[in-house]
Amino acid sequence: MIPFLLRRVLYSIPVILGVALIVLFLFDVAGGDPIQIKLGKNPDPIDVAELRVEMGQDKPFFGKYVDFLGQIATVDFGTSWFTETPIRTIFARGIVPTLSLTMPAFLLGAGIAVALALLVAFYRGSMLDKAMTLLAIAAISISSLVYILVLQWLLADRWKLFPIWGYERGLGSLTFIVLPILIWVLLSVGTDMRYFRTVALEEIGRDYVRTARSKGVAEGKILFTHVLRNCAIPIVTRCAIIVPFLITGSFLLEIFFGIPGLGTVLYESIKSSDLPVIKAFTMLGTVLYIVFNVVADILYAALDPRIRLS
Amino acid sequence: MTVVTETLATAEVRSPWREAWRRYRKDRFAKLFLVMFGVFFLLAVTAQIIEFVEIGQGNDPTYDRSLAQMGYEVSPGKMFEETHHAPTLKAFPLGILGLNWNGKSVLLHVFHGTKVAFVVGFWGSMLSVLIGMTLGLMAGFLGKFADETVVYLYSTLASIPYLLLMLALAFIFREGKVAEWYRDLWIAKYVSLGLFNIIMVIGLTYWVTLCRLVRAEVLKVRELDYVNAARSLGFGNFRIMFKHVLPNVFHLVIINFSLTFVIAIKSEVILTFLGVGVDKEPSWGQMISFAKNELMRGIWWPLAAAGAMLFLLTLSVNYVGDALRDALDPKLKD
Repeated sequence: MIPFLLRRVLYSIPVILGVALIVLFLFDVAGGDPIQIKLGKNPDPIDVAELRVEMGQDKPFFGKYVDFLGQIATVDFGTSWFTETPIRTIFARGIVPTLSLTMPAFLLGAGIAVALALLVAFYRGSMLDKAMTLLAIAAISISSLVYILVLQWLLADRWKLFPIWGYERGLGSLTFIVLPILIWVLLSVGTDMRYFRTVALEEIGRDYVRTARSKGVAEGKILFTHVLRNCAIPIVTRCAIIVPFLITGSFLLEIFFGIPGLGTVLYESIKSSDLPVIKAFTMLGTVLYIVFNVVADILYAALDPRIRLS
Repeated sequence: MTVVTETLATAEVRSPWREAWRRYRKDRFAKLFLVMFGVFFLLAVTAQIIEFVEIGQGNDPTYDRSLAQMGYEVSPGKMFEETHHAPTLKAFPLGILGLNWNGKSVLLHVFHGTKVAFVVGFWGSMLSVLIGMTLGLMAGFLGKFADETVVYLYSTLASIPYLLLMLALAFIFREGKVAEWYRDLWIAKYVSLGLFNIIMVIGLTYWVTLCRLVRAEVLKVRELDYVNAARSLGFGNFRIMFKHVLPNVFHLVIINFSLTFVIAIKSEVILTFLGVGVDKEPSWGQMISFAKNELMRGIWWPLAAAGAMLFLLTLSVNYVGDALRDALDPKLKD
């Protein structure tokens, strides 16, 4: 276990260095000039020079890269170029709205998907199975933007069932996040159900199921005690891999429903080329991605005694 | 003994592809959706030919046709006045799906959008599949340094938040030096910068999945006897890789192509909505983006038309892709 973790940590260092290089390069080349954005079209040259030094933009590319690595090492990305807020405050403020949307949405969506997958696996080959599979393909064939636009317009604007836009801290957030959660569930259930169905069908074809059947165990019991337990491995590992995306949030839902979470933070920072925020966000995403991949591997080994971490 | 040779000689030769097609045909829905995909393809080709002819002649594009030609007496470009028209049979043919906020024919726009979807879907997946396939083959077959480099490359790329990567690339291909270089090419006249932009973004971000799959499969295939046989015959790496190993992993490429096709079309919608996609010509993404303001004014038909087309095309590709996966899976032989 310890050597495994150590090796994964060591292996992640070149990945982080590479990510930092790519992101800095992309935004150094592609991003707008932050000084022009900040000072307007015809700024005083002295102001420009001062600001450039203050932002660390006077250095050559390599110098900026070294600065970035220093920021990563100290986990201190400074303050936003535009709102002048410390990056830590921005993330601390954004995390609660994001999680209050993504966590319940994910749990609800995954729960429904697993239940439906087991149901159709139980009635595999029947009309129900075929209809559900077709329905799932149909559901994932609709653009996420269409889901959001139509449901927001119909349920919030026309029928006034939910508030259209906004967010309130504390319990008041409930009314605002119900509709985005509903849309998330609709968006994810099709994909998840199809995946879990494949997993369940693969298990159902195994020898232990045949053995259980031949000794007379009821089909329902086979499904819920034997098959579900073995399906747990791919289900749990898949969930672990999704966690980083729950934290970084769904930017489309957040923009459309005015939820001030991390998705909105990312969107705004890219729009205004706010490099400190972009840097911090990239590193958050990357580190979470790496960490939860390791977590998935550990869970895999913990749930399946046949697998050893090597 | 003689009996065996006779049967072998007279037996019908079934290639794996033929076998796959036989299995594919069994699914009625799969055939139906293949036909639907064919219809979309023909629409796209027609729209593309019309566009090329117009560009060649220097005419205004058809989708910008004036309203008088559609039987409407309205002035275009007035979003907040009552110049928009709901779908009506009276306005046959061009106004049959109504007019958008800008007073333009929704029918012509969804028609042209089909072309945009196919250009983006086909070339975007093509680029992504080419990169993923080549790198995956090299990594799996050559091993050692090539393998380590490719694995490092894709694990790094996969750890960057995808939205960030996509938007950063989109900005580069839109405004950077690449955009200037592209504008001077002869092809820029026929494939707009916005389309080129999306194709590059899709190609450069979505190759990772296929690369992983191909690499894993090649790692298995390269240990097989026929590869050793080819080696002992003195064939070069390149020849073995592309002529002997590739056909054995090609089913992965085909299935992935259909997946990326869908992703590309859906990404066009998101990128266009975010303002870094198609802008010089109508696309489904553009129609859906406009809908945000149109819906508030009760103009629902452009969204309905674009959403329905997008849905039907995606559905058919998704279903065909699924059926292909089942048909090409040798384990499911029956």
